[in-house]
Amino acid sequence: MKTCLLFVISFSCFISANAQVLYDVSKIPAELLKNASVVIRNEEQVYDVKNPGSAMMEYRTAVTILNKSGDAASNMHEFYNKFSSISDLKASLYDAAGKKIKDYKTSDFRDRSVVSDGTMYQDDRVKYLEFSHTSYPYTIEYSYRVDFTGIRTYPDWYPASTWNQAVETSSFVFKLPQGMTFKYLKSEGLATDSSKVKDKLQYKWSCRNVKALEYEPMSTGMRNVMPWVTLAPNQFEYDNSKANIENWANLGSWMYNLSSGMQELPEAAKVKILNLIKDAKTPEEKISVLYRHLQANTRYVGVQLGIGGYKPIAAEKVFSVNYGDCKALSNYMKAMLEVAGIKSNLVVIGNGMPSLNKNFASVNQANHMILCVPLEKDTTWLECTSQYVPLGYIGNNNSDRTVLLITENGGKLARTPVYNPADNYQKRSARVDLNEEGNADIQIETQYGYAQFEENLRMLIVDPTEQRKSLMNSLSIPNMQIGTLSYLQPDKNTAMLTEKISLKASQLLTKGGDKLFLTLNLLNRQESAVTIVEDRKTSFAVNYSFKDEDEIIYTIPKGYKIEFIPKDISIESEFGKYSAKFTAKDDKLVYTRTKMMVSKKYPPEKYNDFAAFYKKIYQADKQKSILAKME
Amino acid sequence: MNHMRFILFAVLFGVNSISFAQEKTVPVPKEVAQRTFKYGKITPEEFETKISGADSAASAVVLFDVGKAIFELAGRKASFVYVLERHIRYKIINKAGYDFANLEIPLFNINDDESYLDDMEGATYNMENGKVVISKISKSSKFTERRDKNFTIKKFALPNVKEGSIIEFKYKIKSDFLGTLNWHFQKNIPTLYSEYDVSIPQFLKYNMSQTGLIKVASKRELGQQNMVSYYGAATAQIARTQFRIENVPALKVEKYVPTMDEYISKVEFELTSIRMPGQSFMDYIPTWPKVIAKLRGYNNFGGFLAPNDFVKTTVAKIVKQDTKPDSVPFLIFDYVKNNIKWNNQTGIYGSSTSAQQVFEKKTGNAADINLSMLALFKEARVEACPIILSTRENGKHPKYPVLTKFDNVIIDVKIGERHIFFDATNKNHTPDIIAFENLNHEGYRVDFGTNTGSWVNTDEFKISKKNVNGYLTLSKENKLTGKLQTFTTDYIALERRNKQLNSLNEVEYLKSFKADKPGLGISEYKTENIDNPNEPFGESMDVVIEDNVEEAGNLVYFTPLLFERTKENPFKIEDRQYPVDFGHPSEEVYRLTIEIPKEYSFDKLPQNEKISLLEDAAAFSFTVNQEENKISIVSKISFRKSVYSVQEYHDLKELFTNIVRKQAEQIVVKKS
Repeated sequence: MKTCLLFVISFSCFISANAQVLYDVSKIPAELLKNASVVIRNEEQVYDVKNPGSAMMEYRTAVTILNKSGDAASNMHEFYNKFSSISDLKASLYDAAGKKIKDYKTSDFRDRSVVSDGTMYQDDRVKYLEFSHTSYPYTIEYSYRVDFTGIRTYPDWYPASTWNQAVETSSFVFKLPQGMTFKYLKSEGLATDSSKVKDKLQYKWSCRNVKALEYEPMSTGMRNVMPWVTLAPNQFEYDNSKANIENWANLGSWMYNLSSGMQELPEAAKVKILNLIKDAKTPEEKISVLYRHLQANTRYVGVQLGIGGYKPIAAEKVFSVNYGDCKALSNYMKAMLEVAGIKSNLVVIGNGMPSLNKNFASVNQANHMILCVPLEKDTTWLECTSQYVPLGYIGNNNSDRTVLLITENGGKLARTPVYNPADNYQKRSARVDLNEEGNADIQIETQYGYAQFEENLRMLIVDPTEQRKSLMNSLSIPNMQIGTLSYLQPDKNTAMLTEKISLKASQLLTKGGDKLFLTLNLLNRQESAVTIVEDRKTSFAVNYSFKDEDEIIYTIPKGYKIEFIPKDISIESEFGKYSAKFTAKDDKLVYTRTKMMVSKKYPPEKYNDFAAFYKKIYQADKQKSILAKME
Repeated sequence: MNHMRFILFAVLFGVNSISFAQEKTVPVPKEVAQRTFKYGKITPEEFETKISGADSAASAVVLFDVGKAIFELAGRKASFVYVLERHIRYKIINKAGYDFANLEIPLFNINDDESYLDDMEGATYNMENGKVVISKISKSSKFTERRDKNFTIKKFALPNVKEGSIIEFKYKIKSDFLGTLNWHFQKNIPTLYSEYDVSIPQFLKYNMSQTGLIKVASKRELGQQNMVSYYGAATAQIARTQFRIENVPALKVEKYVPTMDEYISKVEFELTSIRMPGQSFMDYIPTWPKVIAKLRGYNNFGGFLAPNDFVKTTVAKIVKQDTKPDSVPFLIFDYVKNNIKWNNQTGIYGSSTSAQQVFEKKTGNAADINLSMLALFKEARVEACPIILSTRENGKHPKYPVLTKFDNVIIDVKIGERHIFFDATNKNHTPDIIAFENLNHEGYRVDFGTNTGSWVNTDEFKISKKNVNGYLTLSKENKLTGKLQTFTTDYIALERRNKQLNSLNEVEYLKSFKADKPGLGISEYKTENIDNPNEPFGESMDVVIEDNVEEAGNLVYFTPLLFERTKENPFKIEDRQYPVDFGHPSEEVYRLTIEIPKEYSFDKLPQNEKISLLEDAAAFSFTVNQEENKISIVSKISFRKSVYSVQEYHDLKELFTNIVRKQAEQIVVKKS
């Protein structure tokens, strides 16, 4: 799915206060060096709100890079756009002893446009300083000021947000004029220091001596261990638009007003639409016809300019060019449905992001827009940027999360559909006929549903050469020749695709003395184990829930008998379920395997149980049968 | 002689007219008749375009791509401007081809020079109810992204693109950058017709080179062009070259190719001189001696060799009175590679202009480092010359005198009759072990003393080796315990040393070492000669291996090479279009001794095998010996060449098939 920067890049920024601190690396407390590639020596961020539409931020940081894994942290990148400007850029480089090596001026910083993947044009830019210094450790100090003339968000503070990064001190000061309000969320146990300074409310959060965390696989993030604050305005002004976003209802109203009037279509379009649906009887049929029309005639082209990051371009315009971003295409679909007499709502959603926080309305929790069509019996959700997915399938990254419906009565929170393990299925049956020379004829038929449909969707799109190449790389069958292969989506309205492959392979049987060994799980082995992590700190999750069912029927070569088959295996845990069955009859060997995984957020202490579960599956997937020549 | 006349278009200050006299026709692959296309004129047949064969499922097809290039005298500088008028039309076959409807044109400006878009048209054509419906590009669909101060991208999104649409762009780019002109005949989708027609006035001299597997027919004519500018009129002789080709297949990417760029069918023109009427002759790169003189004159190349006190004192530090003369180059090499860190950038020009600057910064690009070393060599009276070369990523050098096609420099030292290559960009390099990227077969050796140069072979003939020795004991709990030792030499040693060097510490190194070896437990890891790259690199470890021995009733079994087994054939496709380039010859030998419990016995063991192909240029052998409750296994794979031709591909693939098969054989042990 293509997302658009509906709710733009969050600013990670800050101020200068203190005079020169000594950046001698030997002064870093020893406990901060453990697991660290980077130590933030001193970071100060001051964000001063002048009024709903303008603010000023001062930022200053000094970062010690201990080794080359930390180099990335030495490069400053500060984003800006039409509604912000960066000034007073300064940087200095220090050696291990804290001796200054070099000063950088504003002119040493470079400036370039920022255009995210899949987007054609947006007005964001970045100022950056990139340098290479190869003797470690070293310290780089930055400071700058940002003036905002349009506000949508306030900055976050999350000083130790990456692995192997320790923090000596960091602070965030937030100033707000009296009479204005804002809201914030913070990490557990973090103290908030609030006071009144002159005519302003001042809030301060800080931390000291935060130890670095070593990389933990499958992590869901460090927010449960590290200090952080997330802020959001209640009122803002941006690109001539005033908003009150105290709650989701208000935020929804603002979005509703931005999009109202954008659904007008010219007469020619209306005629076309009515003609398209003239034979459709039910609302469901009409939706289906129009969604298919949308998929066949439009393409995704992302353009984000100012308020255009939130306001869709007019349906009329999309009708004339047949392209647009997620907002434009969703709004166009909404407009077409309106002509057909069907009501729908634009949906603000975080594609691949966590759910919207019900009690905290802000514009940077989402990056995408889809469409919701409430019908009498059922609600249909439409992902309007894909030319391929079936009606109603919104994809794994949009599923099972809290989203905001934009209605005439303001924003309403809702939940997108959940795809269960049984929805995200893979069902496979294969026949493998082995002859005396050890050659095998293999026929494979597989069905992929929902999330697994999505994963394999690419195969429907690419050309046969590329299909073959991908298959060659994904199947680990030694010495194989692919005969025929086909990918089909039998029903355009169902997220399921079928794969049929016929191939020959000559090395399925491996020799061992005068016996032949056959690894029974030919097609779906879990090839790796997960290493145990001592004293894990962060929670973990698997990508998505799924269920795989495999059946392979082997015909063994003439003149051979089955000398050994493994015992049936069944493994169960809260992470999922696995079973493998082996049966032999005459010259047939039947292997059946099911593996079901549940995607959930698991607490860190469960990780080693998960590793043990994975290891059992790894071993089970290697099981072999032994064939011997008949006397 | 066949004369033809035609009117070229109006230029800024007047009218140019050109006449041609056909000079000669170069014998070429296949003559292709010229076709003409009118913007906006689409025939119904074009909607029926289908591709058969290997590209039958391409997402789009280029119906034609025509570039007409001339030079105009224009502007306040009264210098030449390269004007390329391009007309390209595609048929979109499926949705994966929609990207072609978003056109991006990169434009540059540096100092006073710039390239800019002069004219731009674009449209989509759809067949609706038997009629061609035209959708022109709208103003709101044109964007300008100012990437940075020197780089701008013009972007265009065509409207109403569907499966089956025909799309078309026509635009003109004018450019002050005359250094390199090029035209790609091949793309990642098939092209039905491609034409490049370039007319070069006598004042400009270019060197032309064609590369790629598919050669293109060209035709050269001489003619005249009236050049009218603000400063007056002149008639210029021009040379017009036309390239035309039909039915160019899509470029297919394959493994073990240094760069695909070498195989794309294309033509390039490199500027060698300018002589403007009434101005002084500006000679770019007409001959090798001039190239050499130029290099010598550049501060960031030849400048490194200027007499210098710093170099003198540095050499004095390295070369003492009692230093043996033979060891001088090696001491200097060690000194440079241990004192300057490479910043991961290649290049033939330094970012500094003297060894002193580089040593002060302690870091630099490949030219900074190796030219500093050259300065020290010269000062110490070592017979040394730079070799400029093109890295693997940069592709083969076209071999005519053009500096821009070189992108790296190493140093050649003559000791007695021997030539040794030095590349001090990595402390793991040794004499004759240069960066792998530099193993691109040839380099140009520059001798400033005689102002001459010559192409030298930079291929590595020495076989890089990997020897693994293992002594393992099988326990009744199906664990293998024992010792593993690995010795590597030359480029394989370099690769492993670099892995160590690039890991934060040993723990991290072992973590990544174990990552793809489930069941492996390591203790007592030791290295040998890690800081002495002149010697083979040794690694030894005590191992406990679980999960690799399996049980079936009374039998236990395992593949003896364990993690070192070649599991997959890297060559999967049936036929290959490009040579296989490994970079250097190699040999891998595994010697494993495995002891089983006294009560156990071996079942029948794998048979010995030996396969030698291509006159022993590629070979594999596998031998097993049993001595009571011990077996020893030797598996040896050798590739004696760096490059294997397309014809040799099948043998190479076959060899790997056998390696995979044989190394997968199980050792079967009976428990009683």
